Amino acid sequence: MQLQHVRRGHLYDRIARTVFLCCAILLVIVIVGIFFFVGQNALHLFFEPGGATFQGFFGGTTWDPTGVTSDSGIPQYGALGLIIGSIVITFFSVLIATPLAIGVALFFVEVSPGWTITIRFFQPLLEIFVDAHQHALALDIDIIRFFQPLLEIFVGVPSVVIGFLGLVVLVPFMTKLVAPITGNSPVGGYGWAAAIIVLVVMIVPTIASISIDALRAVPMSVREASLALGSTRWQMMYRAVLPAALPALATAVVFGMARAIGETLAVAMVLGGSDILPSRFGLDTFFQPNTNITQAILNEFPETYGVSRDAYWMLAFVLLVISFLFICISRYFASRRVYR
Amino acid sequence: MSTQVEQITSQERASNAAMAGLLRRLHTGNNIAVGVIWVVAMLVALIFVVIIVDLVIQGFTARLGNTAVLLNPDFWGGTELGIASEVFNTFYILILTEIFLVPIALGAAIYLVEYARQGPLIAVIRFAAETLAGVPTIVLGLFGFILFSAEFQLHISRLAGALTLLCLNFPIALRLFEQGLTAVPRDLREGSLAMGASKWRMIRTVVLPSALPGIVTGIILSAGRIIGETAAIVFTMGETNPFSGVFTLNPLIASDTLTVHIWYLKTQDIPPGITAAEASAIAAGSAAVLIVILLVINIGARSIGRAIERRITAA
Repeated sequence: MQLQHVRRGHLYDRIARTVFLCCAILLVIVIVGIFFFVGQNALHLFFEPGGATFQGFFGGTTWDPTGVTSDSGIPQYGALGLIIGSIVITFFSVLIATPLAIGVALFFVEVSPGWTITIRFFQPLLEIFVDAHQHALALDIDIIRFFQPLLEIFVGVPSVVIGFLGLVVLVPFMTKLVAPITGNSPVGGYGWAAAIIVLVVMIVPTIASISIDALRAVPMSVREASLALGSTRWQMMYRAVLPAALPALATAVVFGMARAIGETLAVAMVLGGSDILPSRFGLDTFFQPNTNITQAILNEFPETYGVSRDAYWMLAFVLLVISFLFICISRYFASRRVYR
Repeated sequence: MSTQVEQITSQERASNAAMAGLLRRLHTGNNIAVGVIWVVAMLVALIFVVIIVDLVIQGFTARLGNTAVLLNPDFWGGTELGIASEVFNTFYILILTEIFLVPIALGAAIYLVEYARQGPLIAVIRFAAETLAGVPTIVLGLFGFILFSAEFQLHISRLAGALTLLCLNFPIALRLFEQGLTAVPRDLREGSLAMGASKWRMIRTVVLPSALPGIVTGIILSAGRIIGETAAIVFTMGETNPFSGVFTLNPLIASDTLTVHIWYLKTQDIPPGITAAEASAIAAGSAAVLIVILLVINIGARSIGRAIERRITAA
């Protein structure tokens, strides 16, 4: 009787273990499936009649897979303009977002804890108003614990909402602001510049949130050692804390890049859309309707079929490979972290 | 003698002056740097507060008919002007996705935390989780389109959308559930095993109840992501509602959500029966409703998690 009970327990144990293992394996199946299905459809483009050549896809500048805009009706698969759009937007948005995000992280981890000291200084005064001693102590909380959840709320603001605000508030404002550059173009607000601003708003919380964890992982002894040598607070941050957290901060930035290049809705809404790569690059290139990989997929994929649809699969595959590279780079930096 | 003293003091004075200069420079540098950090932090905080406040204000200033869109009863109704169907769809897809997501992600988290030993299999699973977390949502949407809609013959449907959202949220839910499980102290597990419980019994009776706050927080935070997602469901769940109406539990019909509705109204076609101005106002109202739902969910996640924790630790 007893033995049977134990045996049944073991059986359940083995079943449970197998079920849980299957759940975990499913994760691997999904990611392999993504690479398989997207890659398979993408490669059709190069091997099917009427498809594109490798050089034509990555070197051409005319994107017209359905062949409706050209007179001859021959489809053109030059994706260089789309790829450049994605890269330019990602590069500039990360360039602007990184100092902002690391500034925010430094504020929360290094500067704002000073507030608790001020509160402690005024504590006797506060105790006059707050009669229970407990309450006065409660003011001594870590400011991060209050603000980091807030930051995570901003990480979760849907991109369509940011895109909506970009379209309703930012684009009309930009149109007026850059009128001297674009020669009063009515669509001057759309384009790379608006997309960059929208992306900065989207990735600052992501980078800041990971950077805060990175800075907090640096042990107090590093700060104390630096201060004991006579550093000012800024010297301590600049010469001791930031270098100590550098690999983890790099991970944060690469994560921001991965998010930026794959961002779809917000960017697509303010880009304005135009499949023609500008013939020359100048300041005004940033202030004219433009396009990138994600916008092309989002707006044009449902209307395509056959080989022209494969061209969009290829775009998705390019995006997938780029973000996979970013993940590998961030893993490399993460493996070089000193403090965790 | 006295000249010697004077010499020393003048030397000291000179070095003191140099020191004071250096100190002043350092402190000025410090003050400037800390000031810049202050300004940056306040600027970023201000931008985000303005974004959220502006969204709500847009909801009250955009006019639908004679009243503000959020105060117009038509906006809350089921006609073309209203968002009742979109709100229903949003919560429908949320619940459908969580029904798939919670058991599977929790199962995977239990395997990783309780059963797995260090080894190549774990490394592969973790790498897969990290990679999946980094896949752009639009690529996931295309993957869901080819696999669920085409291969599995689900077509453009709520079920295909929910399965795509499952793939999208799997890594995040896994991480949150793992955090919840690892927060359970080791002693509890050892105590249970020492009493002769099998591993599955220990997980069921000891680990899962103690990990409940973390699990609930994980569910609610992933809910926020499901509600806010657009790109992954445009190709799998559709952009518009069927004419027969959406107030049914049928998982095989196409339908839109609040996020898709905003995108569709602002950048795609304006549905028949409403004007462009009305479409703009409805989009503004929908954005305000969406942000309020997300704020409630995010704040709720933390307070509910904390409340459950208090109840468990007090009991």
